[in-house]
This record gives sequence, structure tokens and C-alpha cells, in this order.
Amino acid sequence: MTEAPLLELRGVTRRYPGVTALDRVDLSVRAGEVHALVGENGAGKSTLLRVMAGAISPDAGELRLDGRAVAFAGPRDALARGITVIYQELTLVPQLPVAENVFLGIEPVRGGLVDRARLRTATARALAELGLEVDPSLPVARLSVARRQMVEMARALVRNARVLALDEPTATLTPHETARLFACVERLRSAGVGIVFVSHRLEEVRRLADRVTVLRDGAMVWTGPAAEKDDAALVRAMVGRDVEYPRRPAARPPEEPPALEVRELSREPAFRGVSLRLRRGEIVGLAGLVGAGRTELARVLAGAERAGAGTMTLAGAPYRPRSPREAIRRGVVYFPEDRQRAGLVPRLTVGENVTLSALDRFTRLGLVRRPAERRAAGAAVRDADVRPPDLGREARTLSGGNQQKVVVARGLLARARVLLFDEPTRGVDIGAKAELHRQIRALADEGRAVLVISSELPELLALADRLVVLREGQVTGALEGEAMTPERVMGLAVAG
Amino acid sequence: MSAQRTPVPGGSGWLARWGVGLALAGLVLLAAVLVPGFFTRGNLTTVLLHVSVNGILAVGMTFVIVTAGIDLSVGSIVGLAGVLVAAVVTNAGLLSAVGVAGAAAVAVAVGIAVGAGVGVVNGTAVAWLRVNPFMVTLATMTMARGAARLFTGGVPIGFPAPGAPAFDLQVAGLDALHAIGGGRIPVPGLPRGFPVPALVMLLLVAGGGLVLARTRFGRHVYAVGGNEEASRLAGVPVRRVKLGVYAISGACAGLASVLLVGQLRSGGPDAGLLYELNAIAAAVIGGASLFGGLGTASGALVGALLIGVLNNSLDLLGVQAFWQEISKGAIILAAVLFDVWTKRGSDEAVG
Repeated sequence: MTEAPLLELRGVTRRYPGVTALDRVDLSVRAGEVHALVGENGAGKSTLLRVMAGAISPDAGELRLDGRAVAFAGPRDALARGITVIYQELTLVPQLPVAENVFLGIEPVRGGLVDRARLRTATARALAELGLEVDPSLPVARLSVARRQMVEMARALVRNARVLALDEPTATLTPHETARLFACVERLRSAGVGIVFVSHRLEEVRRLADRVTVLRDGAMVWTGPAAEKDDAALVRAMVGRDVEYPRRPAARPPEEPPALEVRELSREPAFRGVSLRLRRGEIVGLAGLVGAGRTELARVLAGAERAGAGTMTLAGAPYRPRSPREAIRRGVVYFPEDRQRAGLVPRLTVGENVTLSALDRFTRLGLVRRPAERRAAGAAVRDADVRPPDLGREARTLSGGNQQKVVVARGLLARARVLLFDEPTRGVDIGAKAELHRQIRALADEGRAVLVISSELPELLALADRLVVLREGQVTGALEGEAMTPERVMGLAVAG
Repeated sequence: MSAQRTPVPGGSGWLARWGVGLALAGLVLLAAVLVPGFFTRGNLTTVLLHVSVNGILAVGMTFVIVTAGIDLSVGSIVGLAGVLVAAVVTNAGLLSAVGVAGAAAVAVAVGIAVGAGVGVVNGTAVAWLRVNPFMVTLATMTMARGAARLFTGGVPIGFPAPGAPAFDLQVAGLDALHAIGGGRIPVPGLPRGFPVPALVMLLLVAGGGLVLARTRFGRHVYAVGGNEEASRLAGVPVRRVKLGVYAISGACAGLASVLLVGQLRSGGPDAGLLYELNAIAAAVIGGASLFGGLGTASGALVGALLIGVLNNSLDLLGVQAFWQEISKGAIILAAVLFDVWTKRGSDEAVG
């Protein structure tokens, strides 16, 4: 353990408007070790990898390579110095063969032409080193995700990578594929590569990691040998902040049929056999890791995707929406996570965005009755506390929190009775967050049924009357009242 | 609500909005000073007449482009609908059955319906089969042109051969259509009157502008083009909207074919060749974004006028037609660069 680290990050800080993504983080990677980086969604793991990859530069702190301070000019520079980061979104060109992908950007050239023979043999050697049997002339598009990851690792190998960082490589793999990936990682480790391994799954950390660093809210909370802390202690370190929001009193007793009931609902491969109930006046939190199937479930409830199997009932009546339009007509509204991509029409005005779901009510003979529209939009914008309450402003000029309020105002105007919020406060500053929480609570108190998906445990714990935990597409538990502790939720989310 | 849109703070929204109009005004002013014979009432109405077919196509095209689509088939629709219009209006049986005016009315209906029909095919393939609009309309463009040539055997349908059994009747039919396509409305102060196609174009611009700016459908068109996924999740019937815009574009092309046949007293299978490109150019010059979400009917008119005024001025100056093509290309390039430039400005205001 006295060996000098290959790569060392000291006091790395990175701020974004309104958020400190990394706050004085230290991390060191030694040759021939696997260093696991763990933390909740949004703890800053991906940002840290991007700093290592030279994709972003830190606002403060330094990177040291072989004991000397370095500043990467960009990802190319970091690559040239032997640091490779494999992101969850792979960076292969699907149409090109494996060999061309492995050597993309550093193709061996002879006489002005690509030396294909060398390309193939060198690729075959790298693949063999990883224990991967793939024809180097096969287009990458024909490979599974797991094999594509290994092609990325082969890419790191031919570049003589000394540090390799993997961002949640197992998130989409089957257990068998995961085992193969681990075999690759172990080969690289014994070849002296320093490996940073990001994962949510504690059993993987146990299997692979020599050392562990825990990040929480952008700060390093613990680092040390993996054997030093047991699972429970690691979970505590991951979620251990004080609950910032006041806890809710217990919900009122249910007497009527549930506003929305789901039985044995499936949509492969995202989720299967999910049953849950939403009642009027109640907020149900849907917990789980990214990729556990939460968003897909909400999208099926909202008619954005079709269910494969199972039944849904809306206030006692059969419910099987074929489009969001139909779902909205029946009072079920989905508030998507990615507002820029799926929530707002950025070049329409605030007013036009707010009335988009309810335009039928303000239309006579096809013509929009603008005074009525303006009155309703104005009231909805005031209720949702959009700032500034200017209907004529283009929606793209608003801050993230206000954009979310615009989307909420739209749902209210559409007379939603069942509201499905997907990460309602992601990318929203603290002030707007509290306001959104207050609004969501008020919506439930007015007799609506609310489902909230959030990767922020404290948010769920503060907001929800009940919690349903998904793991890998299945419900692993439902918690209520005193049973809703961060440890139990994380336990169900990571280990079933 | 769009009438009182708040300008983007610090952005160049004002310039993006009025820039093309200013460019047109500047060009007209320049031509008035430099080009002898340009700024006369007679010549200005001629410009409007020459612009009318492209203006009509450009209004329809704008609907499609605002949804981030493209319609390459409009030129071929002008050809196909045109030969059918000419065939209907010179059909002796029909002429004697419903009279000259009746046959002309049927011809107008057939022209618009054929155009809308091709548009419905386009829209169905784009919206339900999810085929790329460029490829769908490239295919229907090729098929419609082929169908027009097949139907006519490659030669225009029009003026009957001397001594044809229904010669007088057929000429009367063509004349009736000519009243629309080549007719002039007497206006005091305009010695030759105001051309009917220009009036049709102006009405269409006004109607298209009303639909885009004031109707629910128009709002949906902008929403789909601005963010299709968000619109779908907000309950906008995205597929119906797409079907609608292609049907409108096709119907506009059908209407244009009626005017063209009336003007020429003949429907040729090669009529409207490459018109789609002029229509796209006019729409884009007029501020429509090929990425969707932006564009207006009046902008399409301004774009068509800009091209028309330029062509007319160069004509009057006796400049070779080849130079007109080069200058039209330069305007398209300038418009696109202007678009990129003003957008970059306003995006910075967001960050």
C-alpha cells in the first residue's frame, strides 16, 4: 500500500450554476488495483470520471499523473497519456467492424493507406488478451452490449491505457455477461492497469474492489480498503446525510377504490409483474436505482408506451391507454424527467406550453379563443408560481425550476387526477425544490393521486406516504411509516 | 398569445423576425432606383403573378417544414394534378353533361383533391409507417411524375386539334379555367387589372397565416415541430397533425396546378419540374427552420417575393437567366447563414 499512485486527484472541485457537483474530492488509483467508486445517483461519480477523462476541467484542485501535476487539454490528451474512461453510452461506430473501432483515430498507416492486416492482427491480440472470442471483421452493430463494452476495453488496451475507468458497466448486463466482464477486468488488473469501477451494486464491489471511495452530494465521505466496511456500513455512508425535509404524518385511511390500480403489469425487458395502488390524497414514492424500470413503468401508466401484460384500472374502470392523449383525457398526466427533451416545447411561449394539453377547451370551430386561453393560462401560471409570470416569454428562457413549474401548470390545466412525476426536482435549485415539494403535497391534499419517482432518497422519504421499491424491473418491497428508512430502501434497491 | 410574444432578452429576436422583410424592402428600394421599369404598377403586378404559383407552394411547404418535415413531391403533384385537370376540363362528355362552368368547377375540385390525396399518402407513410419524409416524398415525387407521363403518353393535354368533334366545347372549357388562371380583376388605376392567381395566393397566405397562428391545429403544428416527444406526452395528436400538414401541402400543389393549367390552357406532364426546390427555398428564406418549430405563411410569401423581385429585376436589366440561378442560390445561402447567425445569438441568451 506504499506504492505511489498512477493517477491522483487532489481536492477536485467542480461547480455548475446552483450546484457544486464535486467538492474537494480526493481519489488515487494505483497500478494493478480495482478502486470502486460508489454513491447514490447524483453523488458526483460521473462528473468525477469526466474530470479524469479530460472532458471537463476542475474549478479547483489538481490531477497528478506519476506524481507530477498535469492539466488535460481535452479527452484526446488524457487518452494519449494513458487514461481511458468507458461511459455508459458507448462511443463505438456501429457500422464499422470491430477492428476499425478498436483503432478508431489511431489507425496504423502504411503508404498512405490503412494497414488492414496489422489492424486485424493487433485487434485479435487485444481481444485474446481480454479473453473475448469475436471476429475482428464483424460490424459492432452485430454484437451485444456486453461485447461492445469489451471492444471498448480492447480499445483501451491497444492504446496502452494505464488507467481505465468504467461507469456502471454492469447496469444493462445479464449475470452471465457480468461474470465475463469481471474476468476481463481481472485480467487487466493483473496486467498492471489501474481500474476505477463505478457501481451501485454492493455485491459487485465486494467481488472486485481492492479499495472503495464513497461519494455523497459531491463530497468524498469515506475511502479505504474494501474489507474495512461491511455492506450495512457502506450503505450508511452512501445515504448518511441528515434528512433535510420534514417527515410527513401518516396518510389518511383509504376507503374508496384506488384512483389507479396496477396488477401484474409487465413490459419486457424493463419491468415485470408489477402491482401497485395509487389512492386519492396519497403520494406514493417509486424508489430504485437508475435502470430499475421506474421511468418505463410511469410511461406505461401514462400511455406513452404499451403494456405487455397485466391489467390497469382507473377509479374502478378498465384502463389501457393507447396514447398520452387518451391518458390525459382520462386524467392521468405524466411529468417527464427530461424537461428539455420531453417536457417543454422550447420555442413556444410559456402560455402556449401551459395550454397545450387543454387546448380543446379553448377552441371553438378550430379557432383558439385567445382571451379565454390567456385567462386560464395566467391563472395556472400564478397557481404554479412560475417566475416571471410572463405568458409571452419563450419557454426555453426560463430556469430549470420554472420550466418544471410550467409543466406542472399544464398538468393542472388539463385537470389531472392522477399525476406521475419523474424526478420532479432534478436540476432544480434548492429554493424551487422546496416550492415544488410544497406544490406536489398540495396537489395530493386536494384529492389527487400522486406517484413520485426520485433518485434522491431524502426527497422520497419526505414527500411520500408510502414507498414502492423496484430493482431490475421487479418490486422488491413496499415500505410505509416507520419502516421507511434510508437503509431499508437502499437495501431493497441494491440487494433485493 | 403569439401576438404578444416577449422578445428574448439580449437576443437578436427582433432581427430574426423582421430581417427578411427588411431585406425584401431593401431589394425593392434598390430595384426601384436602379432598374428602369421596375417600380411601375404594371410591373409590380406582373411580379405578383409570376410569384403566385411558388408562393402557394411555399405556404403549403411551410406547414410541412414547421413540423420538421419536407415535401419533395409538390412539383410532381403540379404535373400530375395538372394533366388530370386539363383532361377533366376538356372532357367532351362532362362538358356537355354539366356545362362549361360545371366542368371547370369539377376540374378545380379534381386538382385540389388529387394533390391532397398524394399528400395523404405522404402523411400516412411519414406519421404511421415512420418513414423519413425526405424518402417518402422523393418516392411519391418520382411516382407522381411517372403517373403524369403515363397518363398523357408524354405529351401535354390542352388545346384540341382543329376539326375535333367537340372543338368549341373543349375550347370553352379551357377558357373557363383560363378565367381563373389567367384572369384579371378590373381595378381602378391598374390598366390591366389585378391577376387572379396573385389574389388566390394572397388569400391563401392570409388563410394559412390564420390557421398557423390562431387555430388549435396551427398551435399543434408548431408544438410537434418544436418538440415532438414533449408534444406527444402533452396529448397532442402528433400523427394526425403530420397527416394534416402533408395533405395541406399537397392540396396547395393541386390548387397551383389548376392556376397553371388555366394560365397556359394546357396541362403538361413535365409541368412543375423542380418547383419543390423553389418552394423550399422560399419557405426557408422566409424564416422557416428545417429543424422545425419555426416558420410563418407571411414569411413564405416574403421569401417567394424576394426570389421573384430579384428574377424580375435581372430580367428587366437584360441579365442572362443563368445569372438568375446563381443569384437565387446566393440568396438561399445568405438566408441560411442569417438563420444560423441569429439562432446562435438567441441561444446564448438562454445559457
